[in-house]
Amino acid sequence: MISESILQITAYLGAGIGVGVASVSAGIGEGYTAGNAAHSLMRQPKAHDTLINSMLVSQAVTETGAIFSLVVALLLIFGGFTDPAGGWFKAASLLAAGIAVGLGSLGPGFGSGYAGGQASKSLARMPKHSNEITGNMLIGQALAQTDAIFALVVSLLLLYSTPNQPENAALGTIILKSVAFIGAGLAVGLGTIGPGAGIGFVAGQANGMIGRFPKERSAIMRNMFLGAAVSESTAIYALVIAFLLIFAI
Amino acid sequence: MAQKKGSLLRYLFLFLVIEVVLIVLSSGLNKQLQVGYDDTGKFVFQNVEKEYDLQDKIQEEFQPDEYAKQNGISPKFYGSSALYDFFAKIFGKANAISAFNLIRMLIIVDLVLLLVAFLIKKQLFEKPSKPQIIFEMIYTTFEDFVKDTLGKEKLHFTPYIVTLFIFIWTCNMIGLVPIPGFMEPTRNLNVPLGLGIMAVAVVHYMSIKTKGLGKYLKDFTQPLPPMTPINIVGEFSKVISISFRLFGNILGGAIIVLVVSSLVKFIILPVGLNLFFGIFVGTIQAFVFTMLALTYIGVEIAE
Amino acid sequence: MEQIARAAALLGAGICMGMGALGPGLGEGFVAGKACEGLARSPENASLITRTMLVGQAVSESTGIYSLVIALLLIFST
Repeated sequence: MISESILQITAYLGAGIGVGVASVSAGIGEGYTAGNAAHSLMRQPKAHDTLINSMLVSQAVTETGAIFSLVVALLLIFGGFTDPAGGWFKAASLLAAGIAVGLGSLGPGFGSGYAGGQASKSLARMPKHSNEITGNMLIGQALAQTDAIFALVVSLLLLYSTPNQPENAALGTIILKSVAFIGAGLAVGLGTIGPGAGIGFVAGQANGMIGRFPKERSAIMRNMFLGAAVSESTAIYALVIAFLLIFAI
Repeated sequence: MAQKKGSLLRYLFLFLVIEVVLIVLSSGLNKQLQVGYDDTGKFVFQNVEKEYDLQDKIQEEFQPDEYAKQNGISPKFYGSSALYDFFAKIFGKANAISAFNLIRMLIIVDLVLLLVAFLIKKQLFEKPSKPQIIFEMIYTTFEDFVKDTLGKEKLHFTPYIVTLFIFIWTCNMIGLVPIPGFMEPTRNLNVPLGLGIMAVAVVHYMSIKTKGLGKYLKDFTQPLPPMTPINIVGEFSKVISISFRLFGNILGGAIIVLVVSSLVKFIILPVGLNLFFGIFVGTIQAFVFTMLALTYIGVEIAE
Repeated sequence: MEQIARAAALLGAGICMGMGALGPGLGEGFVAGKACEGLARSPENASLITRTMLVGQAVSESTGIYSLVIALLLIFST
């Protein structure tokens, strides 16, 4: 058995890493959106209503990942996980939960911000098609935020469904399980950075192009769905590996 | 329009507030409302104190054989027990439950598709019914894709492509039917792997048929002879990527729905999750699988 | 000692899949984004562009597949 303070150390460390890392991307993404919206306002001052609405909605979606990590951090701090019966298993999974949700929110934040910024540019160019552009932006951002949801689910699994350390566990088992949990957190955290940012880039380009060629909307959207779904596959591999590391070891 | 959007956002916000309040109120309680018959056959309507163990639940749902073996309970399955005994005798006891459930679901999907086909065929020569129009729309849409990708003279691929789409889509959707024991067959790796191997086999068959065996073998040494192993690995990676994408999306969606629903005490939020991960992701993945199979064929017979 | 080696293998599997998913994800997203742009600019070549996009993504995904295979090997065969 270990003392309560080790569990507290890992929980607080995980919470700090999670919120700190996740806030970086949310901040940059939202700043990109807002900057583009301001630039677009200069070009198309008449459309300020739709522009500001779309900017706010886009920023709210971009912030989802950071809110996820905030929730996990609050759970880590106030959720009562510092029962010493958890042992090293819980200590490792608390740290891994923070790492997973923090790193996992990085990519989706950048990506959603890029999509929102491009949508603002398009809105300035074609204020008439604001509904199509905003709808497409939301769909693309939802696709990008799926990766953040993967990270959230893995960190919730690490928080709630990892076993307590048995009384008479051998040293080898302890090391094995704890390291497997940290590996699961790293896998899904690092693995969702690329796909999240990539899908955001796809959605952004699609938005920009719908603003220029609104007639080709259906073809562009079909291509966007296909490209985004294929880009997501590596995040799915990371998710599968994380599930295996949590449940099959 | 702006008015409508604002009210929609307001409703969404209201739902979220209700959700959070309910979760906060219920988080301290470890109780569950139980309505129905208990084990002794008595009708009960009461709050039951219940220990809800997430890991236990996940194992019961996704690794039924392991769960039955570890807890020493009799296997839990849906359907006739004589059929299960017969099945366990043939395939062995080790993986009998999950295999039994999988094959049961596959047979149900097949029966549903056959029934729909029968009903539509019956009405084919009278005035067109609504389902018939929907299926014809799906067929013509995919016919256009085939025409774009493979050219006009390869239209005989359309039935295969449409079958692939409708089968995978039905597999992804049948997990949403609220009947005990219903699950997506695509959640098990064997089904997507089989479909993927079949799709790549069709690709290679078409490649040999159009190019001839000599050119087919020669293409593996393109652009340089030392690249041959990489080309061969690339063929295997086609199978892995196309099947793991479908499998991981459906399995991930199922686990996410289970985990988040149990954390929010099955209030409100699961509806949206099922909408997103069941209908939206299921449809997109079925479409992507079909389009990838089509594109692989198109690349091989392009010249 | 064996257990420690296996633990290292598990950690390696996690890092391998995480890092291995990073690059292909970004790259495939870039491919799809540029394909959207190209498709909008010359819609008459839509099927050709989509085909090239999918082939390019399949090739860039192969490194992701390598990571997946190595991670599965590290988990199940050590």
